[in-house]
Amino acid sequence: MRRPSRSGRRSPMMVGAISAVAITLLGAAACSSSSGGSSGGASSSKLTLQFTGPPISLNPALGGNGLSAVFTALAYDSLIHLSGDGKLVPDLATSWNYVGQDNKVFEMTLRQGVKFSDGSPLTADAVVASMNYFRKAGGGLVGDAGPVDSISAVGPDKVRVTYKSPNPDAAMTMTQYHGIGTIIGPKGLANPQSLLTASDGTGQYVYNGKTSVTNSRYTYDKNPGYFNPSAQMFGGVTIRVIGDAQAVLSAAQTGQVQFAGGAASTAEAAKQAKLNVLSAPFFNWTLILADSAGKTSKPLGDARVRQAIAYALDRKGLANALGGQYAAPSTQVLLPGTDGYLPQAGYDYDLAKAKSLMAEAGYANGFSMTVLTESLLDRNTTYSQAIVHALGDIGIKATLHVESTGIGQFSGDALSKKYPAIIFPSAGTDMFQAHNQISNGLFNPFGNKDRQLESTLAKAFASDGADRTRLYQQASQRYHDLAWYVPVFSTQNLLYVGPKLTNVKTSVLNPNPMPVAPTADLAWKSK
Amino acid sequence: MLKLLAHRVALSIPLVLLVSVVVFALESLVPGDPARTILGENATPEGIAALHQQMGLDQPWLERYWHWLSGLFHGDLGASLFTGDAVTSELNARLGVTVSLVLCCVLVSAVAGTALGMFSAIRGGPAARVVDVLSLTGLALPNFWVAIVLVALFAVKIRLFPATGYVPLAESPGHWLRSLVLPVIALSLFGVTAVAKQARDATLEVQDTDYIRVLRGNGVAESRIVLKHMLRNAAIPVVTVLGVVAVSMLSGTVFVEGVFVLPGLGSLATQATTDHDLPVILGIGVYFTVVVIILNLLVDLAYGMLNPKVRAS
Repeated sequence: MRRPSRSGRRSPMMVGAISAVAITLLGAAACSSSSGGSSGGASSSKLTLQFTGPPISLNPALGGNGLSAVFTALAYDSLIHLSGDGKLVPDLATSWNYVGQDNKVFEMTLRQGVKFSDGSPLTADAVVASMNYFRKAGGGLVGDAGPVDSISAVGPDKVRVTYKSPNPDAAMTMTQYHGIGTIIGPKGLANPQSLLTASDGTGQYVYNGKTSVTNSRYTYDKNPGYFNPSAQMFGGVTIRVIGDAQAVLSAAQTGQVQFAGGAASTAEAAKQAKLNVLSAPFFNWTLILADSAGKTSKPLGDARVRQAIAYALDRKGLANALGGQYAAPSTQVLLPGTDGYLPQAGYDYDLAKAKSLMAEAGYANGFSMTVLTESLLDRNTTYSQAIVHALGDIGIKATLHVESTGIGQFSGDALSKKYPAIIFPSAGTDMFQAHNQISNGLFNPFGNKDRQLESTLAKAFASDGADRTRLYQQASQRYHDLAWYVPVFSTQNLLYVGPKLTNVKTSVLNPNPMPVAPTADLAWKSK
Repeated sequence: MLKLLAHRVALSIPLVLLVSVVVFALESLVPGDPARTILGENATPEGIAALHQQMGLDQPWLERYWHWLSGLFHGDLGASLFTGDAVTSELNARLGVTVSLVLCCVLVSAVAGTALGMFSAIRGGPAARVVDVLSLTGLALPNFWVAIVLVALFAVKIRLFPATGYVPLAESPGHWLRSLVLPVIALSLFGVTAVAKQARDATLEVQDTDYIRVLRGNGVAESRIVLKHMLRNAAIPVVTVLGVVAVSMLSGTVFVEGVFVLPGLGSLATQATTDHDLPVILGIGVYFTVVVIILNLLVDLAYGMLNPKVRAS
């Protein structure tokens, strides 16, 4: 093929075309910067938050916990409010107490003069109807409510909850994170489907289905009928769904969102960008030695083997390597700062002791087992791989089985009793919550039970104050000796707060703070 | 031409059916279960069974497929298993985002690609080499990296464009355009380079033909030769490439919508797949298929306009 000559032929047309493209692009920027002002987006009186995914449901009875509670907490008040620093504060209930001695009957007095956004007044009957609806609605938080036997109105402003067995955490279950205490109005209850497009609560804001875009943007308007207008700090609130960690950082950095859930991978960049990075311990990553009867893996039936595993993990090294400053070694089923934590207890790193325990149990040469894990919370299974690798030091050849399609699926695998050991994080702010979580479901698929532990806890749940703390600590010691659960390290819940937002607090007792609070001193504020 | 249109439309019906069967079959191979996803880690076997029955997941898949298909003929794509919203309304709300994105990308690829390609062919010399190298670099750079760099530079460092989000055209045309600039650059990089290469080769070819030489010999203005004669003939292979590029951009939206947090069909596809929200996945399959058919139709029509021989046949 002949090559064409290229001797200095110029074409003003081409230059023109290229310039046209450039001008279009620059024009877009120019015209919008004149009309759009700063890239901050929200006006000072409105709050924009980020959440990582869509709500599980906008119906509070079917919704989720943790940070995702924000979708319902904005529009619905709970009976009791858990503040960012972990204090129980009056909300729809102005006072509460146990009736009798054994923590089985819990009574709350309701606030007067409160109205639902449907116009009807808050009464004891309305509260009972909402709580009973929650119990049968089939949401994922039903287990959080504790062993509820019955709920009744014992006066126009008094509600009584009776439990089948002692529940020392009744007040905690009535907060905005556990479903049962989040109160829905009578019209919403009559037509629960309507709650997906319009809220019916007593909260500071009202969900606006018309201006929201499913899976993308959820908007809430100010509720003109809220009982304490001085605590309403924003003209409206928007929750934006942003999943990608890098996109979350960019949105927070440029002021598109004033509050966001962070990630260890972007925390340093967030700090450099002058975002306020808050953190509180949340997940307690645990190697669950579920098959303690040795049904699928005989060696795990021997307590010495389980203890050897607990001694074989260099928690400090693992925490430092895997989470840097946002992780800490964990040696107990409870984290430091929670009720029942036992200072100076727990397993240290002692390889020699681990090896001798293995030899004593007759497994000096180790054994093989399969460990179930998932890759949704443990991204790329880096945590699980490190934990399993460390078991090699005492001759245990552990193979990972990774479930990557969802926590529900992972839970199904765990309950199939095919896996003697499982890696998953627990979370709980006292022994009652931690025990309820780890003694059930995917944490205890083989149904392990220990008489001594059960009797200590039964006594603890029926008592209070220092007595309860002492009994909780005994339970911690018993969990330690049983070594069904081998805690490895705790990771922090990271929150990014923009420079214009103040009064955001977080703590080990509440790692997932909410923007709204019943009093002005606890609510988030805009500078 | 009408015959061509009728032929295309007739062909699209079995295509939609085929795609839906493939999507249905592939989805059933993916491990996991929507009932488990909805109920989460506290799911009980009874709860899962009850939800299965409620959602009709206990029926054999042929029956479920038939149920879905009969709805399709009435324009009903069912309801999302998670939100309960009608799939058509959920997808229509997001269609504008994806269509805006793809159309802008096609436009940018066509204009910028052709301009660069023709510039390189006509101008020649070192300037052309620079354009060639830039084109190749564009082809080599992964668009996710480009996207992140663009955000870091033009949204975070210089606050020129928003880092994330989308503004509908009807709400504010200025903001709409602004929200699309970075995603469009990231997504059309491949298109621009593919088109530029095609336009360059085609122009070189046309430049060398006898009729261009005759036109030049007769003293026709260079600008007229380039715009009227060379561009038109070089445009035919460009249009072919543009069709392929537009289709590949549809899959690119899945990623770009994630990074720039645009509420389009692509980001919904990701969400629906992890959730096992089958009605939504099937709906997206149908929408994407229809968009691909329309794109191909447009390419055919463009051929007809550019090349009289196609029209005659």
